[in-house]
Amino acid sequence: MQAGLGARSRLGGPVGAGLAIAVGALLAACGDGGPGGDRAAARLSLSETLSGADTAGYERALEIRDFDFPADHGPHPGFRTEWWYVTGNLTDKDARSFGFQFTIFRSALAPMPPALDSKWATNQAYMGHFTLTDVAAGTFRAFERFARGAAGLAGAELGAAGRDVPAVGPSQRSAPPAGSAQPWIPPAGSGLRVWIEDWSLTGVTEGNGFPMRMRASEDGVSLDLRLDAGKPVVFQGDRGLSQKGPEPGNASYYYAHTRLPASGTVVIQADTFDVSGLAWMDREWSTSALSGDQVGWDWFSLQLDDGWEVMVYQLRLADGTPDPLSDGVLIDPDGEKIPLEWGTDVRLEPTGSWTSPIDGARYPSGWRLLAPSQGVDLRIEPVLDDQELDLAFRYWEGAVDVHGTGAGGVPVSGRGYVELTGYAGDVRGR
Amino acid sequence: MRLLTRSSLRHLTRHRTQLVLSVLGVALGVGVVVAIDLAIQSARTGFQISSETVSGRATHQLVSDVGSVDESLMRTLRIDLGVREAAPVVEGVGASDLVTGRALTLLGVDPFSEGPFRPYVAGSAGDLDVSSFVTTPFAVVLSSVTAATAGIAPGDTLPLRHEGRLWPLVLVGTLTPEDPLARIGLSDVLLLDVASAQELLDMRGRLSRIDLRLPDGARGEELASRIRSVLPPDVRLEPAGTRTDTMAGMIAAFDLNLTALSMLALIFGMFLIYNAMTFSVVQRRGLLGRLRALGVRRGEIVAMILREAFWIGAVGAALGLVIGALLGRGLVRLVTRTINDLYFTVSVEGVGMDPVVLVKGALLGVGATMLASLPPALEAASVSPRLATLRSASEARARRSVPRAAGWGLVLLVAGAALMAIPSRSLLLSFGALFLIILGMALLTPWGTVMLVSAVRPLLSKGSGILGAMAARGVITALSRTAPAVAALVVAVSVTVGLGVMIESFRGTLVRWLDGTLQADVYVSLPGPQSSRASGTLWPDLIEAFVAHPEVVGHSTYRGLDVVGAEGPFRLVALDLDARGEEAFDFLEGSPDAAMQAFREGRGVIVSEPYAFRRGLALGDSVALSTPSGPYRIEIAGVFYDYGSEQGTVMMDRSVYDRLYDDPGVTSLALFLSESAAEEGVVAELLERVGEGRFVTVRTNRALREASLEVFDRTFRVTGVLRLLAFIVAFVGVLSALMALELERARELGVLRALGLTPGQVRGLVLTQTGLLGLVSGILAIPVGLVLSWVMIYVVNKRSFGWTLQMEVGPEVLGQAVALAVAGAFVAGLYPAWRMARAAPALALRGE
Repeated sequence: MQAGLGARSRLGGPVGAGLAIAVGALLAACGDGGPGGDRAAARLSLSETLSGADTAGYERALEIRDFDFPADHGPHPGFRTEWWYVTGNLTDKDARSFGFQFTIFRSALAPMPPALDSKWATNQAYMGHFTLTDVAAGTFRAFERFARGAAGLAGAELGAAGRDVPAVGPSQRSAPPAGSAQPWIPPAGSGLRVWIEDWSLTGVTEGNGFPMRMRASEDGVSLDLRLDAGKPVVFQGDRGLSQKGPEPGNASYYYAHTRLPASGTVVIQADTFDVSGLAWMDREWSTSALSGDQVGWDWFSLQLDDGWEVMVYQLRLADGTPDPLSDGVLIDPDGEKIPLEWGTDVRLEPTGSWTSPIDGARYPSGWRLLAPSQGVDLRIEPVLDDQELDLAFRYWEGAVDVHGTGAGGVPVSGRGYVELTGYAGDVRGR
Repeated sequence: MRLLTRSSLRHLTRHRTQLVLSVLGVALGVGVVVAIDLAIQSARTGFQISSETVSGRATHQLVSDVGSVDESLMRTLRIDLGVREAAPVVEGVGASDLVTGRALTLLGVDPFSEGPFRPYVAGSAGDLDVSSFVTTPFAVVLSSVTAATAGIAPGDTLPLRHEGRLWPLVLVGTLTPEDPLARIGLSDVLLLDVASAQELLDMRGRLSRIDLRLPDGARGEELASRIRSVLPPDVRLEPAGTRTDTMAGMIAAFDLNLTALSMLALIFGMFLIYNAMTFSVVQRRGLLGRLRALGVRRGEIVAMILREAFWIGAVGAALGLVIGALLGRGLVRLVTRTINDLYFTVSVEGVGMDPVVLVKGALLGVGATMLASLPPALEAASVSPRLATLRSASEARARRSVPRAAGWGLVLLVAGAALMAIPSRSLLLSFGALFLIILGMALLTPWGTVMLVSAVRPLLSKGSGILGAMAARGVITALSRTAPAVAALVVAVSVTVGLGVMIESFRGTLVRWLDGTLQADVYVSLPGPQSSRASGTLWPDLIEAFVAHPEVVGHSTYRGLDVVGAEGPFRLVALDLDARGEEAFDFLEGSPDAAMQAFREGRGVIVSEPYAFRRGLALGDSVALSTPSGPYRIEIAGVFYDYGSEQGTVMMDRSVYDRLYDDPGVTSLALFLSESAAEEGVVAELLERVGEGRFVTVRTNRALREASLEVFDRTFRVTGVLRLLAFIVAFVGVLSALMALELERARELGVLRALGLTPGQVRGLVLTQTGLLGLVSGILAIPVGLVLSWVMIYVVNKRSFGWTLQMEVGPEVLGQAVALAVAGAFVAGLYPAWRMARAAPALALRGE
């Protein structure tokens, strides 16, 4: 079932497809001027998201392709949806821990841009999510952004020779806060640049495109990290072609960097922390939408201190059972994948629950992850109960602590990220 | 108390005609005031609502004097400064044949930035399909009401005319805002994606403005100063609504002029009430005397009369509100049309019944009635029981008071003149002075009447014998009744004369100005929503093709921009002037040669009279402009007469403009043809060169002149309506006065009939008398009217609009005045004459 891995792995799939709808929802959400009120009405329906897709005119993921880096870090605008999805756990010198999520989604609103000369003319829309969990303070902040992929407001591009790359914003030029470790600054226009307003992910042209720099800042919370490739790239599915359904083309291209040593600064209001830790990046692009009766999914990415990573997800069906396409994979210290068959190789047991103060929605909180054939038995606990993103899409995605035994039954601990969708009622579509 | 009330009722019901006319007078007066107020208010509200709908919840805006800002400013804000709540706006005006008679606001927005700004989009998120809105070229979203009006559904095409081109917009959705104001505001808005709007409005790379939401207090201040630090020199950060307020301020003078005019109708109404109440007191002198003899106190008499006045006022005002509401519906179209012609685009969805306006109108009506009734009420109270029945006593007193009234009249005239002499631009002051003068003139009329009638009497007795002499004599002996009637007629006719002379002078001045200004043979511009002001830019290839026409021997180009500067709006014009066109300017300051030389050499600009007047500038001062390259000052080389823009015009040579502004556009083109050319033929040939899908207005000199005068005439249509209404009120007043006068003389006429006068002779006597009153009024109205027109031309107009008009008095206006007054009085006398002639002498003699 390796092929299934990643097919529905991340929120990004349906979310990406639903971005066009999200944009409409945003108008309602923001127009209301604050939380509550009309926002509820704006929440997206998963079924709507899954069904509204018209694939005509878009490129499709039909066959196994040769990935080319750093080119494939860049955009694939012929596909309907694409995302750059980075999560990670960081600590400062006093062992103060932080978790973060940084995602930029691209969504084509139509196969072709409108035939207009205006610099605002585009068929590309972007959405950004940025969260920061401050474990010691017990706070979780989440932000979102929407912008059209035009007029320099948002976009994704590769700065190749002879290509005109707009100057990067001044945050690129600005010095990091005094006393912090000087982050590495990629030369302007040299490699990957994905941005939505002043949030950005930039890379270099050489080699595998790393190191990359990731920056996001809003409302006194900011993050500025250098990401290095700690392991080779992992191609999900069949050599990066991740089949999602029986029909040809109903698939995505999907790769991941499961261990990215990260260093840089976290700023929370007046406090600046020099941090380091591990990040995880998922890259996926596709056109096809899903169909089915999933109500949501639980997704786990765990980085263990013995050099292994675990990625497991379960799709939940309307009747409460896990979809048989749920899946998992282990990645050894050299970057080799070991697939886990859902139901036989891997099992997931919730050990607690958490109730959202917003509307009383109940999320599982705390799990036991078992992969007996590999000797894996891990306890997973959120570092903070409330890591729910109360945005145009409402879901829970947060940093977790991991303890137990890893591959071969050796005692391990680690950190990770968990994503839970479909628990807050509206996602299902009322 | 009950006795007095019953006495009141009895009197009023027995003099029903008089009562009805009084109520009608108040009703008409209030109606006109309310109608004008409602019309203006509706136009203002319409403008306000559509402005607010369009600017949404923005707290601030980034704008430029030149009308647009560079689009890259958005990226600077969002990325360099991290300003979250900033939204690009591209705005323009167009029209569609499917939505007739209304200018449509094209609002280009970026839906991804809209959330915090325009709530009406939010209320109907479900209807807005962002994907097709953004990715369909020229996709449009309308309010569902407008879509229904146009008869189109999503997927259909809305043909939009904009500056000479027809754009097939694709309707991709409709909005149904829950907020009723937003619904009204949206009714003339076409929502487009910013990209489509830039393309359609020919604004690639530019934004009309950037809307911002800045937090209150120190954080907002800090953000504002950070934003200011990155702005190009021509871009300003200003609170949202600044522009709307400035624009709304443009119609202040227009508004005040109409309001003042409408107040005239009410003042006529007051005359009428004064008349009617005076009569009703006079008629009841005997009764009042008896009441006094019975022990009723003076105060109670005053209260009784005022109570009557109150009810007349109240009923009249109530009726007036209905009249006002109905009349307002018609007037709002005229008012809106004028605002569109002269000021800015506004469309009004019917008349809003602003309760403030209605209450104000009602209070004004009741108040005016009470005020006008105060003198008769006091007179009633002064009736001594003994002298009550002696008519001669009161007439003697009336005659004695003639010189005193004239004296007061003179005092008011002097006061009015003094007020006007105060060197101020305040319009309120001017109108205050104007009303003092009118009142002063009115107080002088009894004296004038006595003088005139005494002068005519010999003539009349020579011509018509004893009856003529009697008619003349009757005017003077019944002065307490005739004087108010004459005064009312004089004021009404003089206002008609005054306005007539003013409008004629204005028109004459305009015609002369057009003769001087329109030097070229053919004028080319784009058809725009505002007929009087061209907008948009002509296609360069079209200009080339036109200029290349074999009959064209020279051309001037004109670039006009409406600048809403920090110091108020004005029109900025860049001229590339053909030598043949240099005669076009008539300078009121500066020598033409020196001015034009400085203009050509780019050393100076020439400004229009209103521009100089409004800003208190003169030759040699300088004009401050804000340009993309920073503030720029340039000397005023001349001040020229101009009646094209009330806000004022700054004209510079094209070379200066090109140096200061990055804008190659040409708004209109003037072509000089060879001597032998047939204008109409050339126009037809030029039109053939326009090309498919483009629309251009090509007019001969004569056609443009006619079009300009048409706008002028349209502008004064409101004035014409008001003039007519005011006259009707005055006429009702005269009718009621004469009727009461003649009816009161029933006994006297009965005696005459008994003495052998035939009904025809009685009729003749009555009509001679009323005709005489009309003649006297007409003659008196001429000097009064001329004074009024002088004041309106040289004081009110100058202060309102900054224009110098040449006063022109045609004999027909004066003849008209006399004819109007005589005819008015004569018509008003017909009914009383008929009644009197028909009355049986015995019955008449028996009295009441």
